[in-house]
Amino acid sequence: MNFLFDSCCSTTGHLAWSAPTWVCILAVVGGLLAWAVSILPLRPVRYVESAAMALAVAAVIWALCGPEWVDDGERLEEGRLIVLVDGSRSMDVLEADGRPRSAAVASLLDRIGPAEVYTFGDRLRAGAPTAFLDGDTDLGGALDGITRKYAGERLGGIVVLSDGIDRGGLRKRLSTGAAVGEGAGAVSLNGPLTVYGIGDAQGRTDLAVDAVRAGSFAFLRAPFPMDVDVRAIGTIPAQVTVSLTRDGQPAGSAVAQLNERGEGTAHFSLNPDRAGRFLYEASVPLPAGDAVPANQQMGLAVQVVRDRVRVLQVCGSPSWDQKFLRLFLKEDPAVDLVSFFILRTSRDMNSGYSPDELSLIEFPYQNLFDRELSTFDLVIFQNFDYRPYFESRANELLGNVAAYVKNGGAFVMLGGDRSFDLGSYAGTPIADILPMRLGVEGGGVDERLVVPKLTESGARHPVTQLTGESSDNALAWAQLGPLDGVNTVVGAADGAAVLLEHPTLKAADGRPMPILAVSEVGKGRTMALTSDASWRWSFAGAGAGQGNQAYLRFWKGAMRWLIGDAADAPVTVETARENYGPGETATALVRVRSVAFSPLAGVSVEARLSGPEGEQTLQANTDADGTARFELPTQRRGAHRIRVRAVGAGLEDAAAETVYGVTSRDPELDQVEPDIEFLKALSAQAGGAFVPAGTWSPPLRDASAGRRVHERRVVELGLLPAVGVLFSVSASLAWLMRRRSGLR
Amino acid sequence: MHRRSFLAAIGAAGAVSMLPRRAWAFGGSGRVNVAEIQLATGTISRPEAWKRLLFETIQTTSVEASPEVAQLAPDDPKLFEHPFAVLCGDGALPALTQQAREQLVRYLSYGGFLLIDDASGTLHSDFDATVRRIIADLYPTRPLETLSADHSIYRSFFLLQEPAGRVQLSRVLEGVAHVSTHPLVYTRNDLSGALDRRADGSDRLPCTPGGEEQRREAIKLSINLLMYALTSNYKQDQAHVKELMREGRLE
Repeated sequence: MNFLFDSCCSTTGHLAWSAPTWVCILAVVGGLLAWAVSILPLRPVRYVESAAMALAVAAVIWALCGPEWVDDGERLEEGRLIVLVDGSRSMDVLEADGRPRSAAVASLLDRIGPAEVYTFGDRLRAGAPTAFLDGDTDLGGALDGITRKYAGERLGGIVVLSDGIDRGGLRKRLSTGAAVGEGAGAVSLNGPLTVYGIGDAQGRTDLAVDAVRAGSFAFLRAPFPMDVDVRAIGTIPAQVTVSLTRDGQPAGSAVAQLNERGEGTAHFSLNPDRAGRFLYEASVPLPAGDAVPANQQMGLAVQVVRDRVRVLQVCGSPSWDQKFLRLFLKEDPAVDLVSFFILRTSRDMNSGYSPDELSLIEFPYQNLFDRELSTFDLVIFQNFDYRPYFESRANELLGNVAAYVKNGGAFVMLGGDRSFDLGSYAGTPIADILPMRLGVEGGGVDERLVVPKLTESGARHPVTQLTGESSDNALAWAQLGPLDGVNTVVGAADGAAVLLEHPTLKAADGRPMPILAVSEVGKGRTMALTSDASWRWSFAGAGAGQGNQAYLRFWKGAMRWLIGDAADAPVTVETARENYGPGETATALVRVRSVAFSPLAGVSVEARLSGPEGEQTLQANTDADGTARFELPTQRRGAHRIRVRAVGAGLEDAAAETVYGVTSRDPELDQVEPDIEFLKALSAQAGGAFVPAGTWSPPLRDASAGRRVHERRVVELGLLPAVGVLFSVSASLAWLMRRRSGLR
Repeated sequence: MHRRSFLAAIGAAGAVSMLPRRAWAFGGSGRVNVAEIQLATGTISRPEAWKRLLFETIQTTSVEASPEVAQLAPDDPKLFEHPFAVLCGDGALPALTQQAREQLVRYLSYGGFLLIDDASGTLHSDFDATVRRIIADLYPTRPLETLSADHSIYRSFFLLQEPAGRVQLSRVLEGVAHVSTHPLVYTRNDLSGALDRRADGSDRLPCTPGGEEQRREAIKLSINLLMYALTSNYKQDQAHVKELMREGRLE
């Protein structure tokens, strides 16, 4: 009977029809018609046959109408047990016994038993971890994710397996005394929490650079502090020597005194002597048995910028040349000008005025040329006679100027009756850095008016670019007013570039007398202009209605070139940031432009990359904006240098370089010591339990937790075997009775 | 003429005894000199006064000067060969032509310096009235302002308290500012009158009421004005102010 009726009809259920109403009506009408036809002819009366046929038809109608017996009900299931496993890289740190910390996870999962297991790192995902590779462990985020996923459901229990090295903020919040449910990203747990600590805090040795703290930029020649935090666990030394390098070259060392917690800071005071981008790396010695050798170094790229170009203008005699140069320098907001003009010499002392009547100060030459020299980007000697002041210290103080240039400073000597050979600079250290050779017998001057001639070098050099177009540039120089004579020199110095020359006067070497020349000396640059009348390029031009643009462009170009302004170079390379994290996207932009500052398209640019990944050479062409792009490697931590070279377009292999750092060491390995206190605090705040590593107790379960499951049981009555049996028997009986009555 | 020969000439005139000094400079026109601006009416020429200024400057300072005084019309392009110009007068000045006005504005904007000296010796002179009109014409949006007591002119070489001249009509200088300097300065005290002298070297006019002491202060002021034209606000540089204050010579 159970087979026939499928235990179908409980007393709590109800009947429902699954077929549409029209199907039911059609079935009934069709069934009645079929029955009526089947009992014809009406004589003889066949009661049994008619009844049997009626039952068969009724069975068909019943089946077609889709009757169902629906039984709705509920049942209670046991609360889920959720297990969160820390899948971060810190879980793979080797313990004192040489086994990875994560080895404890598998056995704990076995003992916990059936549960829904999730892995968390920087995100939450279902399943137990197969490898411990996650970074940025966010336990708070994982708990929050579970709470949201099972919102409205009371969980039987929540289990956390972790070493407590959380980087998502929960640890920080709890360390400040906040409750688990407080603050941004806080979690409100919907089940009892059991925390299993993973990892042993004892027996491990690790010495690490914890942080390098400094601004991402510093000002040139201004002290800037850099602090390096050091941390030791296990064997804690009293002090640690921290070494600092700049672009791989030693930049100093400092000692960090460690406290009882193994923490200390080394303080550096750096005084960058060059503008540009540099990578500073701090490192500590590697002790034997160090748990994480990778955290021994940490780097930081620093952009050294000029606040303002600091210029020292020393003038031996107030003149119109001095006046116009001062006006130019003083009105440029990017220039910090310090002027010293010699207003009175020893020869002017008998004019009948007492010193008290004068508003003069002593020329602080010793201070300037002994101590302050390195604070300037550019030093200008404008018709300055050093001898009355420097006296017996002349060689020493002028030597300081030469050394300052060789170390990256810039120096200009302008003409006049106290300059070059007239100022007895021959044989001094200054003569060694000038782009012109001194030694004209008895000093030298040519007082004839002269319009300087632009040389081939001058046509290309940024100092002498008065216009955007080179063809106009030569014309612009030719149209400038004449100079009131020049100092004569022996000739151009070796390696110097003569930019302007005398159209008729010859130097001792037989070549045209140089008037304007530049030179690179060591890391610095020098320029010599043998005239004291460049002011005429300003004032005469203004008088002619042409303004003073030629003068301004000349001096601006000279300033830029002298101080080595990278932005002034025909090829520049830069990255958007100084520092990148491992794996971040970094792009180098290389800009190529002509001497006339027009973007150069289609120029082949070769980039040589060197860094921890090794060396590689890339190639790209500039686009219409004169820009080429290179994707840079950031896989490995350390200093990366890019040297780019533009080929062709008359650039004569112009080159540039920069540096960037991949400095964010794997944060998961910044701290390798399990944070047991955090895990204890977490479980305490959540009212849960903490199970230390190496011990066991079952996870807390909420017996009352569970879920009511709604159930609906549907029996399709039309498909019950009994219906089929009824139809078969009735139809067969009707057929037999019809045959016996002689009908077919 | 070289500076050496100029000094020799002055020395021979018995004005002062001099120390021998080197006197190189390139091209005479490049050295410091004075241009007198002459108008059709109202201006007077006092070349000896300005030569005295140049001489005193050479004697007292390290400035290389040339004993040249050029008389130029305000629209003369040669004005741009002389960054230091004076306009001295005692009568009503005619209005400037458009060309002269434009050139003077350009001259003062690009680094030239103009000293205007009221030689009338009276408080309400026609010169003063017309000068103010001309200045207003040159600088419609910038006032002729009183220079403060700590202005660089009062300390560009000598420490001065107030402007002196042949007369003592005004205790202030006035000027028009451009960027951070005053390229136009106006004095009411007949400064050139205190400097002017005859061919034999004697003073042409007496200074009242202070006599020779007043003349001495006028000479000092004239040197300061020339030094200011050369060094502009150099004396306001922090290094100089701090040093003078440290020495107690400046409050």
